[in-house]
Amino acid sequence: MRVFFQLGWFFKQEKKSYLLGVFLLLLVALLQLVPPKIIGIVADHINEGTMTMKLLAEWVFVLIAVGLVMYVLRYYWRIMIFGSSVKLSKILRNRLYHHFTNMSPAFYQKSRIGDLMAHATNDLAAIQQTAGSGVLTLVDSLSTGGFVIIAMAFTISWKLTLICLIPMPFMAMLTSWFGTMLHRSFYKAQEAFSSLNDKTQESIMGIKVIKTFGQEQEDIEDFRKQSEDVVQKNLLVAKIDSLYDPTISIIVGISFFLSIVFGAKYVLAGELTIGELISFTTYLGLLVWPMLAFGWLFNIVERGRASYDRVSALLREKVEIIDQENALDLVPHGDIEYRIGEFTYPGETAPVLKDIHFTLNRGETLGIVGKTGAGKTTLLKLLIREFEGYQGDIWFGGARLQDYKIDKLRQAIGYVPQDHFLFSATVAENIAFTNPDADKAEIEAAAKIANIHEDILQFTDGYQTVVGERGVSLSGGQKQRISIARALLMNPEVLILDDSLSAVDAKTEEAILSSLKQNREGKTTIITSHRLSAVQHANQIIVLEEGKIIESGTHEELMELDGWYRHMYLHQQLEELVEQGGH
Amino acid sequence: MVEKIELSGREQRKVLVRLLSYTKPHKRIIIWAFFLLLLTTIGDIVLPILVAIFIDDYLQPGRLEFKPLLLLGSAYMGIQIVKAILLFFQLVKFQEIALYIIQQLRIDVFSKVQALGLKYFDKTPAGSIVSRVTNDTEAIKDMFVTVISTFIQSGFLLSGIFIAMFILNVKLAIFCTILIPILLLVMVVYRKWSSQFYLDMRERLSQLNAKLSESLQGMSIIQVFRQEKRLRKEFGDINELHYNAGMKNIKIDGLLLRPAIDLIYIFALIIVLSYFGITSMHQSIQIGVIYAFINYLDRFFEPVNQMMMRLSLYQQAIVAGHRVFKLLDEEEIAPAQSDDPHVSITDGKIEFNNLSFSYDGKRDVLKNITFTANPGETVALVGHTGSGKSSIINLLMRFYEFERGEIFIDGKSIRDYSKSELRKKMGLVLQDPFLFYGTVKDNIRLHQSNMTDEQVKEAARFVQAQEFIERLEDGYDHKVVERGATFSSGQRQLIAFARTIAANPKILVLDEATANIDTETEEAIQTALAKMRKGRTTIAIAHRLSTIQDADLILVLHKGEIVERGTHQELLAQRGLYHKMFLLQNGGVEHLEDVAN
Repeated sequence: MRVFFQLGWFFKQEKKSYLLGVFLLLLVALLQLVPPKIIGIVADHINEGTMTMKLLAEWVFVLIAVGLVMYVLRYYWRIMIFGSSVKLSKILRNRLYHHFTNMSPAFYQKSRIGDLMAHATNDLAAIQQTAGSGVLTLVDSLSTGGFVIIAMAFTISWKLTLICLIPMPFMAMLTSWFGTMLHRSFYKAQEAFSSLNDKTQESIMGIKVIKTFGQEQEDIEDFRKQSEDVVQKNLLVAKIDSLYDPTISIIVGISFFLSIVFGAKYVLAGELTIGELISFTTYLGLLVWPMLAFGWLFNIVERGRASYDRVSALLREKVEIIDQENALDLVPHGDIEYRIGEFTYPGETAPVLKDIHFTLNRGETLGIVGKTGAGKTTLLKLLIREFEGYQGDIWFGGARLQDYKIDKLRQAIGYVPQDHFLFSATVAENIAFTNPDADKAEIEAAAKIANIHEDILQFTDGYQTVVGERGVSLSGGQKQRISIARALLMNPEVLILDDSLSAVDAKTEEAILSSLKQNREGKTTIITSHRLSAVQHANQIIVLEEGKIIESGTHEELMELDGWYRHMYLHQQLEELVEQGGH
Repeated sequence: MVEKIELSGREQRKVLVRLLSYTKPHKRIIIWAFFLLLLTTIGDIVLPILVAIFIDDYLQPGRLEFKPLLLLGSAYMGIQIVKAILLFFQLVKFQEIALYIIQQLRIDVFSKVQALGLKYFDKTPAGSIVSRVTNDTEAIKDMFVTVISTFIQSGFLLSGIFIAMFILNVKLAIFCTILIPILLLVMVVYRKWSSQFYLDMRERLSQLNAKLSESLQGMSIIQVFRQEKRLRKEFGDINELHYNAGMKNIKIDGLLLRPAIDLIYIFALIIVLSYFGITSMHQSIQIGVIYAFINYLDRFFEPVNQMMMRLSLYQQAIVAGHRVFKLLDEEEIAPAQSDDPHVSITDGKIEFNNLSFSYDGKRDVLKNITFTANPGETVALVGHTGSGKSSIINLLMRFYEFERGEIFIDGKSIRDYSKSELRKKMGLVLQDPFLFYGTVKDNIRLHQSNMTDEQVKEAARFVQAQEFIERLEDGYDHKVVERGATFSSGQRQLIAFARTIAANPKILVLDEATANIDTETEEAIQTALAKMRKGRTTIAIAHRLSTIQDADLILVLHKGEIVERGTHQELLAQRGLYHKMFLLQNGGVEHLEDVAN
């Protein structure tokens, strides 16, 4: 029940809805007592032959009135209580999302997206259930149960009530116990299902191997076996699930039996009328639900608490990269200066960057080359403050990176990442990502510089073509160029191309580089690349190896050196020759 | 991805009928379940009648004879207990039927997937195929387990109650029949409205989850471009729409579900009480019958509530069923082979004759490919990415159907061999050898259960894989995780070699790994390759030219055409494309100036 205290803030916030909802629930619970009572009274009149038209009309009128009032009340408490629970999940979902947008890459490195999704879906559903059905069951089972028992004991017979209640607690106990067992076996069934899912996935990924060895039939047989396992685990669930109804029916049956047997005794002794006995059995029928509900309540609340704990833990995760106090509220511009001793990723021991010292003047182009894993991307990630905690400082426009507000710093930087991620939206919306209000001309201008305009016009819906996970699939080169256009639209002080030309051919690369040069007069550009032709014309090129700068200078200077750069350059020229068919 | 499917009433019925046709093989167990259902329903109906008899014949007249009362009492409890036991078995049986039906449906879909051509896999994302096989069938399971069995059980109980009412009092029972059209009306209205609202809410939820999942994947982009605020707002908007849809559902449920059914119950009560009340003014009434009627009314409405709450599941299941059947009716089948089991590959001579091929029907990826690989010879295919090497292998392996040109094996068209003959005599090693979840042994043996452990080890020894396998924890029983991620690419390659050699093919098709292979395994791989090729016709894609210097024929491909052909020495002498590739791989960069001219 602790979860109800944990959710206290929400109940307080929504106290009007909850108070009203609970009040209506209590009213319904009271009104529910009326029809059985009327049944008993009418039955007695009939039995004794004292029924008149007037009496009957009166009671029918009361019944209609009670029925209609209950209908209205039942409708409204649902709105109040269930409505609030939906609101709770809305609030928590927004909070989670807000929190997610504040977390740094380090957080995303250690958590799996599937798990985060599970928190936002399954856990929120369980919490919503606690705030809705949980509250309902608690209030309703206590009130209906209490009122019915009071009505039975005080208006009919307290002795009979006690006798008939004996079997009821067993029902609550048994259903709660079944609930736990059901949960456990359900979990196993889910596991079997997800391993069937994995099996299917694997077979589809490995379909070539299966076809090569002609093992389709054998694989189907294997699938049959696994699906049999799913059946067996689910059968166990079915068996436990099927215990509920018979158990309830036996226990309620015993209660009924007791009420008839002892009730008959009291009728004969003159302590009870037959009509009252009929009322009594109808009341007994009303008790079934609260008892059942009590059994469920424990399961609902238990799951709700576990889920709420998980979600709270997630929300408590600290935001790692935050603005300093009195951080500069201006967009930086000017020279960039790296003075780094060492940088190591959080949770790792080997440094990825060592002794990185260089200055990049405003308006110049810097090329960074080196093998995969040499630290090129890391170098850039420090500039956009995705990671912190390095020895030394990075200066930008006369102040250290941390001196600026993150938002302002990032306003100066247009980043084109290695993995060109596009959103499920139109091409135009993807390019206008930083400024949804950008007009057509701006979008097309950016697309033209990125050399993707012509391609986009070829798409079925032009700029309105939906791309991304749920849209048409584009080639890697097209995605890269759209990412470039996206960064260009903000006309940034510093443009970073992180190996963003790898999937375009040499000709396109050249075209993009030259249009960048024309359009970014006076602005800084940083390019990392495997292909040296992309950085050939940079004002300054640094070669990284294992996190250290091993060569630096202009293309001409580096070619003179006869080191890594020159060797790689010649190698790539030959490679290109081969790709073009040797001519 | 959730597509919105609008199905007409006729299509819905067609899907339902087709789903129900899956019950056929389970006739016997279904008859059993229905028999049990009949018995439990009779129990439900008889119990209130027993109480009515007790009240009317014994309690009201005050006649308390021990023997008949004991009989009545024990009958009541006896029936109660037997009914509960039968009820348990009946509930289990219905679920069992549903589970077996779904299993069959799953196997059918999975088998269908296995029979589809690779073309289908190219155009359909793996995720959506998986979801046809598992998630959609799961939705159908929910329908079978809850909806259909609830409908049948409720239907039985309702008919039983009406029969009992007619037995007890015909006139009143007739009055009660007006409940049926009222309930049906409520149900129809509810179904109409709720299915719409419910689908709307599902749609919103899937949008919400899609947005969340996409945001999580692209979070670094969102942050670096400072769009957190905007996306929070966008997410908040979708969240708000989802909330509104949720509220609409609560309202419609509140108007037409339980509260409405409870109100109808009150009306039914009024009918019963008025009838007995009015009748009692002229004649005496058996009070036990009143008890029984009221008791029936109490029981009557719960099943109705249950049925209505499950209508939405029905809708989902029909949509899922529609998608599943669409896959089952898919016609992109794997290329056909002859059924004649007697045509067999004896020598392993392969001829490509003027073969041209296109995946999409627009752009040719292979143009006029002609070459011959004589029995026991090695033909190597070289060329850069996209030159058409893999397509040649795809066609030779019959992954795709071709129309222009022909492939001959031992002088006969490749189509004349049975599928099993081709699979038995041709072994393919893929560039990225796919390892399955299981053990190393399982991965070498695959599903050939008649292969002994000794044969597995033999194959591993033959390809030089035994050394590293035996060093693993548990050796051949070492666990292979998803896709073999814990092995190096070279080790994966060696296991794939062993897998192929264990099948002892006549023709070997190799797609050499490009990924960096450590020098230690590199050597093992080279030795293994040489051994494997001995006595087998080999078609090999080579990325490292050093591995195929002794090939009998090297074909150099460029943009789908064979641009150079010959042995290693011949090709070097030509000083063409092959020569440049050779220089590139052998540190000949310094001679670049020579070649360029």
